[in-house]
Amino acid sequence: MHVERLWLSDWRCWEVAELAPSATGITLLTGPNGSGKTNVLEALAWLARRESFRAAPRDVLVREGAPQAIVRGRFDSGGRALLVEAECNVPGRDRVLVNRQPVRHHRELQASFPVSVFTPDDLAVVKGSPSERRAVLDETASSISASFAEARAGLDRVLRQRAILLRQASGRLTAEIEDTLAVWDRQLSRLGEEVAARREALVAALRPAFESAYGRVAGERGSVSLSYTRSWSGELDAALAAHRGEDLRRQVTSVGPHRDELVILHAGKLARSHASQGEQRTLALALRLAAHTLVEEHVGTAPILLLDDVLSELDDYRAAALIEAVPSAQVILAAASPPRLGIDVATTIDVREIGRRLGATQGGGGGAPLVDGGESGTPMCPAAVES
Amino acid sequence: MAVYTPAVQRLIDELGKLPGIGPKSAQRIAFYLLRAERVDVLRLADAIRSAKEHVSFCQRCWNVAEGPECEICADPRREAGTICVVEEPRDVVAVERTGSFHGRYHVLQGAISPIAGIGPAQLKVKELLERLQPEAVEEVILCTNPNYEGEATAMYLARQLHERGVRVTRIASGLPVGGDLEYADELTLGRALEGRRPVEG
Repeated sequence: MHVERLWLSDWRCWEVAELAPSATGITLLTGPNGSGKTNVLEALAWLARRESFRAAPRDVLVREGAPQAIVRGRFDSGGRALLVEAECNVPGRDRVLVNRQPVRHHRELQASFPVSVFTPDDLAVVKGSPSERRAVLDETASSISASFAEARAGLDRVLRQRAILLRQASGRLTAEIEDTLAVWDRQLSRLGEEVAARREALVAALRPAFESAYGRVAGERGSVSLSYTRSWSGELDAALAAHRGEDLRRQVTSVGPHRDELVILHAGKLARSHASQGEQRTLALALRLAAHTLVEEHVGTAPILLLDDVLSELDDYRAAALIEAVPSAQVILAAASPPRLGIDVATTIDVREIGRRLGATQGGGGGAPLVDGGESGTPMCPAAVES
Repeated sequence: MAVYTPAVQRLIDELGKLPGIGPKSAQRIAFYLLRAERVDVLRLADAIRSAKEHVSFCQRCWNVAEGPECEICADPRREAGTICVVEEPRDVVAVERTGSFHGRYHVLQGAISPIAGIGPAQLKVKELLERLQPEAVEEVILCTNPNYEGEATAMYLARQLHERGVRVTRIASGLPVGGDLEYADELTLGRALEGRRPVEG
């Protein structure tokens, strides 16, 4: 899977932009700070996930004053041409066409079109709260299995219902509260056991990939470990029963997968508190690489790899080793400074030359509206797509 | 912001309280009503008034009824002894359309959902339990929605009913008839696999 050509219109700072990354190897996207490099990566990732990797609210994705943003990409998926077009409407719903046919379920697209993103914010995976680490596991498990995503969403729903019930009880266990709590606890233990077991299986599968990725980037082996710690022991329903009094008093659910931890050890110590900033960054990259490899194994296609300014905090050796460790897929690397020693770049694109940013008024190439080919039979191509 | 005359604003406000009607739709409907023929609009008003005056809830099963009992409870051909428990009156219509259930219903008027402020006390649970003895009920079919709230409600009722020695069943979930496996979502297909049955041969 690789992107042959990408068009943006009214996306963030870009009025129109068009670029053609190299099919294999590294495409380097250069330009000074604030020139729109990350916005290009974000657009491509958004096309696949319909979600910003910067956790940005939807309305900032559309260029100020524009009615909607459009992102188009022409992909090659094992020889098959795929034209993916998406419209970001604020307010309103996104519209997505694949080869001019509307796509209704987002999941259909995600599985055939995986994208891995590495950003400087990944540091939070090591340094931040346990929820950041659980999120990496859940995101990876969800892109491998739709039924995990379903169980994960159900767990959230049940936890919310239970939290509100505990608040309504305000510390008192009446017969009605007890009976109602029992039915939520039964669902919580079923979903909780499932989510925890699948996260554990994922961690077991990630571990060797994580160790080897870390070894390759840092040049040392065996000094890191990855493990999953449940917030309870034994059966979850028994643990919930044992903590019932405490839960009623504190009005929170004190055991369950929402309290579990992905433990990352570096040289036998907790990476979160003991590793240096550079080590933490390397560990975060190793975890992302491991997840990327695992998704590739399960889905069967190598995700397109987007590296947003991740080399800047690594020393020369590690930067080169990271690039070496990156799978053979298409890689788009955004960096403000020119590449350093030992990095082999297939294409360099100066982001200042790919299009027009805020300000100009003329109509542009990539901005043609989406045309649904379902009814007309003969799809109409906007000029930019034909070129 | 422009303000409508009080009568129009009141109409928009009232329409906006209806489910699925946002402020924009409320405005559109209000102006449609103002433009429409007087007789048509008054017929609508009359339909609302008469429905509200004549339709109440069945004293036995809490389905909608014109009179003390709904048509189903009043029908002597319906088998006593089996009760199908649903969340809403519209679910009764759905089950009735299948034509494969000949017992009576019990409408809970909702499902357990702390988020919505609904617990067993807000539902017609006590009323269901009180029907078991006088109607000599042998089986209760739990026909609540296959979501987390419907499931919670079914579990809650199952416990209460088991204590009273009634046979309790839950509707199966699975594949739509006439569909293709290929198009089934994974969750539904997974449930259908779990609920597989031996085939006689």
